[in-house]
Amino acid sequence: MTTKITKNPIDPGRVLASVEDRSAGGSVIFVGTVRRRSEGKSVKGLTYEVYREMAEKRMKEIEAGVRKKWPVVKMAMVHRYGDLKVGEVSVAVAVSCEHRAEAFEACRFAIDTVKRTLPMWKKEKFGLGSEKWVKGTPLET
Amino acid sequence: MIIKVLYFAAAKDIARTKDESVSLRDGATLEDLASEVARLHPRLSSMKRSVRFTVNLEVASLGAKLTEGDEVGVLPPVAGG
Repeated sequence: MTTKITKNPIDPGRVLASVEDRSAGGSVIFVGTVRRRSEGKSVKGLTYEVYREMAEKRMKEIEAGVRKKWPVVKMAMVHRYGDLKVGEVSVAVAVSCEHRAEAFEACRFAIDTVKRTLPMWKKEKFGLGSEKWVKGTPLET
Repeated sequence: MIIKVLYFAAAKDIARTKDESVSLRDGATLEDLASEVARLHPRLSSMKRSVRFTVNLEVASLGAKLTEGDEVGVLPPVAGG
């Protein structure tokens, strides 16, 4: 597993299981899901677009960056693209470390970096054909 | 030389294509390409400040020199997660 961009549904249980290790004393997982409301409006679903080759490369770089800062035992990052319904998992980041403090920090850093640096975009669909690209932030390197 | 340009998200909607080949003089920079893209798709200039360009999967500055066959991405502000 490690890092992956996929069109298929994400199973957080499998992502978490993939970082299990006997030398790890704790695992932390962040699971991002599609919300039903955005800025007061009712959302029917999201469409994620990705610059796939670049995103795959970036995810590997993010993992390398996290491993430089924290003593990570195992790490997994999965991001979905395509059409997602409300409640579906869009992203999962799991980290196992010897101790919990560094697992929490590493996981937090990883998901924050995913948000700022992956070439991905999302379009909110409000029903009756109404849709809008989420404003986003200029890509950071 | 021919450069392959990829458009994403809102930039793709404005350009009405996900990719196209753009012809530039040899020795041209990313800035030359950006001007050509703005000429082809004037409405893209509304995104000028927030757009990032990539050359062969890496974010590049406008001074970067391009070579035949480079792949340039036109990336609006991102919203993953």
